[in-house]
Amino acid sequence: MADLLSTGVSGLLASQVGLATVGHNISNVNTAGYTRQTTTFNARAPEFNGGYYVGQGADAISVQRAYSQFLTQSVWSASSGQSRAAQYANLTASVNNAVSGSANLQTALDGFFGSVSDVANAPIDTASRQAMIGKANTLVATFKSLSSQFQQLDQQTNQQISAAVDSINSLAKSIADLNGQIQKGYAGGAVPNDLLDARDQAVSQLSQIVGVNVTQTSDHMYTISVGNGQPLVNGTDATKLSTANNQYDSSRLEVVGPSGSVISNQLGSGSLGATFDFRTNVLDPARNQLGRAAIAMTDAFNKQSAQGIDLNGAAGGDFFSISDPAVFNNTKNTGTGSVTATVSDVSKLDASDYIMRFDGTNWSATTTAGVSVPMTGAGTAANPFVIGGLSVVVGAGAAAGDSFQIQPTRNAASTMSVAVSDTNKIAASGPLAATKGAGNTGKGVLGNLTVTDVTNPAFNTPATITFTSPTTYSINGGAPQTYADGDTITGPGWTLKLTGSPAANDTFSVKPAGSASGDNGNALALANVATKGVLDNGVTTVGKSYSQLIAQVGTAGAQANTALTAQQSILDQATASQQSLSGVNMDEEAANLLRFQQSYAASAQVINTANTIFNSLLSAVQGT
Amino acid sequence: MRISTSWGAQQAVNTMLDRQYDLSQTQLALGNGKAIQTPADNPAAAARAVDVTSASAQNDQYTRNIQSANTKLSAEESTLSSAGDILDRIRTLTLEGMNGTQTDQSRQAIAVELKQTLGQLVALGNTKDGQGEYLFAGSRTSTQPFTQSDLSVSYGGDQNQRMVAAAAGLQVATGDSGSDVFMSIRGGNGTFVTSAGATNTGTAVVGATSVTDASQWDGGSYTVNFTSATTYEIHDATNPTGPALSTGTYSGDSGTINFKGAQLNVTGTPAAGDSFAVGPSSSQDVFSTVAGIITALGTPGGGAAMNNQLNAQLQNLDQAQTSFTDTITKIGARMNILDQQTQISADTSLQYAGTLSDLTELDVASAASKFSQQQAALDAAQQSYVKMQNLSLFNYLK
Repeated sequence: MADLLSTGVSGLLASQVGLATVGHNISNVNTAGYTRQTTTFNARAPEFNGGYYVGQGADAISVQRAYSQFLTQSVWSASSGQSRAAQYANLTASVNNAVSGSANLQTALDGFFGSVSDVANAPIDTASRQAMIGKANTLVATFKSLSSQFQQLDQQTNQQISAAVDSINSLAKSIADLNGQIQKGYAGGAVPNDLLDARDQAVSQLSQIVGVNVTQTSDHMYTISVGNGQPLVNGTDATKLSTANNQYDSSRLEVVGPSGSVISNQLGSGSLGATFDFRTNVLDPARNQLGRAAIAMTDAFNKQSAQGIDLNGAAGGDFFSISDPAVFNNTKNTGTGSVTATVSDVSKLDASDYIMRFDGTNWSATTTAGVSVPMTGAGTAANPFVIGGLSVVVGAGAAAGDSFQIQPTRNAASTMSVAVSDTNKIAASGPLAATKGAGNTGKGVLGNLTVTDVTNPAFNTPATITFTSPTTYSINGGAPQTYADGDTITGPGWTLKLTGSPAANDTFSVKPAGSASGDNGNALALANVATKGVLDNGVTTVGKSYSQLIAQVGTAGAQANTALTAQQSILDQATASQQSLSGVNMDEEAANLLRFQQSYAASAQVINTANTIFNSLLSAVQGT
Repeated sequence: MRISTSWGAQQAVNTMLDRQYDLSQTQLALGNGKAIQTPADNPAAAARAVDVTSASAQNDQYTRNIQSANTKLSAEESTLSSAGDILDRIRTLTLEGMNGTQTDQSRQAIAVELKQTLGQLVALGNTKDGQGEYLFAGSRTSTQPFTQSDLSVSYGGDQNQRMVAAAAGLQVATGDSGSDVFMSIRGGNGTFVTSAGATNTGTAVVGATSVTDASQWDGGSYTVNFTSATTYEIHDATNPTGPALSTGTYSGDSGTINFKGAQLNVTGTPAAGDSFAVGPSSSQDVFSTVAGIITALGTPGGGAAMNNQLNAQLQNLDQAQTSFTDTITKIGARMNILDQQTQISADTSLQYAGTLSDLTELDVASAASKFSQQQAALDAAQQSYVKMQNLSLFNYLK
């Protein structure tokens, strides 16, 4: 006959396991990555008792995780996506804050051009001129301030990259260690539930930093790779990612895979991928656009300045200065060649960076993204390569395979400065003055004097237009030319419109305006630079290029926010599904607690009953 | 569906955090009144706001330019108006000097007064504006344009006109050079000038002259030779001994002489052999005109010779007066344009302000109502959270 006592004890023990599991679940209700566990019971093999089987109680045979590999992997993938979107939105918001702060470039531009107009209204007034130099310094400071905020963001991305790589390496190490412990845990035949949870949690953390590809081997170990299949964890071995300076620009970090190759652009999702994505697609374009605006401002203003003369009567010099495009050697270059670049045509300058490669005989140019760029010229000083508004001169000595990166605009804004500090050196006056002869008897009237080429060698030679008859004139006694009312007279580097009917012997002269000229012709033209299309083939003004930057940065920010909302809801859904299966529900645990408490009490009662029966038997035996 | 207790609680907390964030964003917007906190809120509007702000700043600058131009033009206008008054005074004095009752001595006194008046006129030509720049120096605004040496005045400026940018593509002159206003004044009646022969002995005086038929006037130089007190011949001045071009008769006391579309009013009686030269106008500055009057009045003798000279100079004086009036008219026209432009700028400025407000300023009413909705949502999330947290089976296990 079956042993009621041992049956009762089996129930007692089974209920204890059940209670322990419930207790474990309740204790871990707030443990991240914890998977709810359930106890499975089995009826013991019955005892054959002739004509029937008698049951012998129950055994707790296993404690299992309520786990789905599929749901867990969905969460990993969703959290990779969410973490990427969150990081991208965060970083993009920093750029948005930078451009919406007090350092508003447009206000500085407006203030500066306003001060130029004030100089046009009072061209020889020292106070106006001083104010213009002051506003120019404010403008440059604004360019520099924005540029330095962008540079700080660039440095922050470096820090985040190196912190992320450290975390990846440490998580990879933990996963490899857990792989080993789990393999040992399985050796006893049981399932090491909590170790599995710990490993999944580590993978989950890893997937937030970088997109991972996880496969499980037959001995319960995870094999993890990142990027395009770069192995990170293989069994109990973890390989290390590392950071290295960019081969051209040592100010920025790249991620190097175990094989030694740069894998920065392969880290699709996770916060690390987002950091690179942000740097390439938001920060660099914004910095380049800002630099391009600074170059355009400098170029357009200096060009107009050169068209005028200053209070000393000298030709206008550069008002702003800015450095030439930065060129970086590839650290792997073996030759001694060099590349120098200058901006030759601002209207064709775009926000790209370029790579120049030498194949042993020929040079070729691509964008940093690898798109081939058309190039003309020979690369000599006399006939430089022309790439997108740049003139590039290559020095001898490059070896085959050598390459150089040109960043025409990246840091340009930070190198801008005001070249004029002497108020007399603002070129407000037009360079020439036209005068009607004092003894003119005809009715010829001076019209517009237009400067076409200040570099003409004879430009500053005083010219006298003498009418030999009402319809013929000569310049400085040169060949006679015919005149009709309203004709434009062309001199060396200038044209002069005359109207009316001059008489014979009437003269008109065009000569340098000289020092202390109170003319404001060039100041008006300088103020007009504000509305002059200088970029994109003469379409975009400097101010417009800044509002383009705002639109570009704003759009990136809006997209990032939208993507974050979408990714967040994907993650919420994936987590809800996974938690629905694996999460601890306290009401359920409370019910189970009651259930096992009751079965424990009942089993105890069975033992008590067995005891009572045995006692009855004993007393019966004693009674006879 | 099973609910994980901690996930459920986390979700509820997340919801509250989200509602709180919404609320804080609306609160921020209500606090600073901006609809766009960063460009990401509305990239297109943010970029457009930058453009509009810039256009508005440019527009304001045009208004300031116009104000500065108006100051200059007003200064010029009042200076020229004073100069016109001085010319009137000179005319009065000259006519006084021509009065037959004057003696050499009294004419000398008038000449002395006229000399002072000439000085006044030169001083007006050298007027500076509020910024210390000479008004009538062209672009040589830091050099005194008119220099007087006894009766002769020379001009040291140039003929440039300074312009002001009154609107995009609209430049208006803010002044006129001294050369245009004071110096390049056409002499005589603007077409031709007359002068009496130096050896005239008669009393004929040429008064007003005019062009009756512009198509006949060829701009040549001619001489009117009186062959007697009542007859005259017209000769080509470049061929004085050649045949007469035309002949005519003169009433002997007062009448007109007409030839080639030109008309001369003559009074007095010429003597035979008297001549008058008629030639095309060239320019004569107003200072030379006044100097001519002073010289004529200061030369003893008076009579027809003086009157002829003074009449010619009075015509020149009229031309100068016309030049001043013309310039004042031009200034008026410019100020009109500037006034219109100021009005347009003011309208444009309002439009820009409206656009900018639409783009960037918060609609406070709707934001306030949004705020209370979000407050209600947060309230609901908080209350439901607390209620949910109380719903646990463990509460009954006692």
